[in-house]
Amino acid sequence: MSGWKPALLAAMLPAAFALAQSRAGPAGAVPAAPAPAAPAPDATAPDATAPDATAPEPKPPNPPRPLDESRASRGKAIFERFCISCHGERGDGRGYSAQWLDPRPRDFTRAIFKCRSTPSGTLPLDDDLLRTLREGLYHTNMPSWAVLGDRNLRDVAEYLKTFSPRWKEEGPGDAIAYAPESPDDADSRKKGQSVWNALACFNCHGQAGKGDGPSVPTLFDDWGNHLVPFDFTSSPHRKCGNGDKDLYRTFLTGLNGTPMPSYADTLSPEEAWHLVHFLNSLRVDDARRR
Amino acid sequence: MRRTVGLTLAALFTGTLAFFSIGLFSPVAHGVPLFARKTGLACSACHEVWPRLNDFGQSFRDRGYRIKRDRDAPVEQDPAYWPLALRTTAGYQFLRQSLVQTDAGPITTNTGTFGFTGLDVWAAGTLGERLSFAITYTPGLVGSGFQLGNNAGSSDLETAWIGIHDIGVQDWVNVRVGKHALDLPIDEHRQITLTSGYNLYHFHPSNSAVTFSPGNNQAGIELYGHSELSRVRYSVSLVNERDAPIFSSNVVSNPVVWAHVTGQRILENGVLVSVKGGLFGSLGWHPTSVSLLTPANPDGSAAGPAAPIQGSGSHHAKHVNYGAEGHLQFLSNANPLTLTGVVWGNWQEAALGGATAIREARWSGAFAEGVYTYNPRLSLIARYERIRTTQAGDPAQRQSAGDLTSVTGAIRHTFELTSRAEAALQLELTRSSSEAADGSLPSTYIGLLALDFTM
Repeated sequence: MSGWKPALLAAMLPAAFALAQSRAGPAGAVPAAPAPAAPAPDATAPDATAPDATAPEPKPPNPPRPLDESRASRGKAIFERFCISCHGERGDGRGYSAQWLDPRPRDFTRAIFKCRSTPSGTLPLDDDLLRTLREGLYHTNMPSWAVLGDRNLRDVAEYLKTFSPRWKEEGPGDAIAYAPESPDDADSRKKGQSVWNALACFNCHGQAGKGDGPSVPTLFDDWGNHLVPFDFTSSPHRKCGNGDKDLYRTFLTGLNGTPMPSYADTLSPEEAWHLVHFLNSLRVDDARRR
Repeated sequence: MRRTVGLTLAALFTGTLAFFSIGLFSPVAHGVPLFARKTGLACSACHEVWPRLNDFGQSFRDRGYRIKRDRDAPVEQDPAYWPLALRTTAGYQFLRQSLVQTDAGPITTNTGTFGFTGLDVWAAGTLGERLSFAITYTPGLVGSGFQLGNNAGSSDLETAWIGIHDIGVQDWVNVRVGKHALDLPIDEHRQITLTSGYNLYHFHPSNSAVTFSPGNNQAGIELYGHSELSRVRYSVSLVNERDAPIFSSNVVSNPVVWAHVTGQRILENGVLVSVKGGLFGSLGWHPTSVSLLTPANPDGSAAGPAAPIQGSGSHHAKHVNYGAEGHLQFLSNANPLTLTGVVWGNWQEAALGGATAIREARWSGAFAEGVYTYNPRLSLIARYERIRTTQAGDPAQRQSAGDLTSVTGAIRHTFELTSRAEAALQLELTRSSSEAADGSLPSTYIGLLALDFTM
């Protein structure tokens, strides 16, 4: 288990408890003051790690989809021309340029993907892979490959599945549902701030959302690379998409392979939208505009 | 002896063939020096075959060398990154020229020399989030060894511009100021062949006073724009006629306006990948009258020939280029077969054709080019080009004088490719002929086996 997971679990337990408390009362009852950074587990809080007889059985993985060999073959040629320098010939993220890149390129051999519309821990849909290929990833060296056209990108997405046996054992998860967006107003942002505090997001993202929380030194991805959380104040461009729905989706799916968990079991759809609105308000440009 | 020479040549041929055939089995391409160091991308991401751009590379260039993922500004880059690259070509060139005039009459000459073509010192990149730049220094090199195609001229900045991007409108309004390459059907500075360029870009009728050659980089200002993925592009440049002997008395002396528009359609049908078409043209004005100054001795007699005064040129006459292009890309984006056809027309007013010209001079030409990329390391290139004078300015002059035909074939194997350097072996053959004023047809054959490398 990577070093960040125990710390994250310790941080999340009281946060989840605090959120549960906040749901019991009016939203305004959530303390505006942030919870202490990385607080110690509360002895009075329910033990979330204990087996729960009432908890639903985890959904078994979807059955695998057969690989389209001809697409994968075409995708291989595209991959070798455009992708290999970063992601490597074996798709292990160890291309010859990888050592110079931060963050490091994705290792496809483990089939762990950050940007998905599927639940945490599941494989992404083809459209998820396609979106990343088409849009690129901001704040990384991954460009938009939209110029190649969707046909080529779908071929590449198919080829990426050949790097990990996981694609032969299970299929992509089911896409999460998007609840209708609540109005983006001051009340929603205030509620979003309460959610932010209750979830102790500031532990990683910092009090002001600058990505400078006290837990930052302990944050590593599944490959052992140190991570810096997203700075919500500086850029409108987020890795997994710039739209509000993209941010909403990230709360519910998490970013697999990173310490950013899924809050699908913790956040209600309304709370997720409130949090989206609050985070949008942190952007310095937006604050000035308002 | 003859047998030994024959065996040696056969061994050399077989060895060369074997070397190129290595490319058949090593499809993995790596980086190009300057931008690969910055982006981490392979050279083959931007180049169909280096240095020719593919669609992604064209888009990258159009955007001002920006990926546009919030990491383009220099402050976002590793401080150790320095946007500089060097390129030269060293090897062996065989040159055969027929009907070379001598005191004893025309002869055929043969020259086989080892040498190099020149040196490009290239720096390019971004200065800020919306600022780009490019500088190419080409030192004058004496004694490069090659009889043709060397860079024995004066040192110069071949390129020196700064680009300002996304002015008011994303993608569609960008400006380059300085010495830049005109937007041509195929950028001559990115041609793959090493023994011949695009003659259409440099052709002038006999006795023409015009020095404007679209293939040369021009000093001026370029306004250009493109759709998000550069499927539709336009470019308009206002430049001075380069190397003009006399500059005219205008706000913009010897002005030339060059315009180019292209549109591309992606088909993705598995056979034909894309179709691209374009139109281009230029309109320029060249002075035909100038003030002179004759140096005088103290006694008032002429001390030398009269010299023209720069900035006094007047009575402009027009010169015009116009044409169309088509590009078909077959097979795939990864390993494409690209066929290009360009037709070109030109006319210039009689006043630009010398003392004996009494009518407009006209010429037309075309080239067809095919580039097959078997894999990012191995490419085949073929080009045929033809230029014909359709009306000589001087009716007494032989109309076909200067008419030109050129054929080039090349094979390029890029055998060393990392993110820091690239080296390729290129075998190339060119045959060209240009009709002389007396109707004879001297020919030039160039064979080149050279290592083209950049770092």
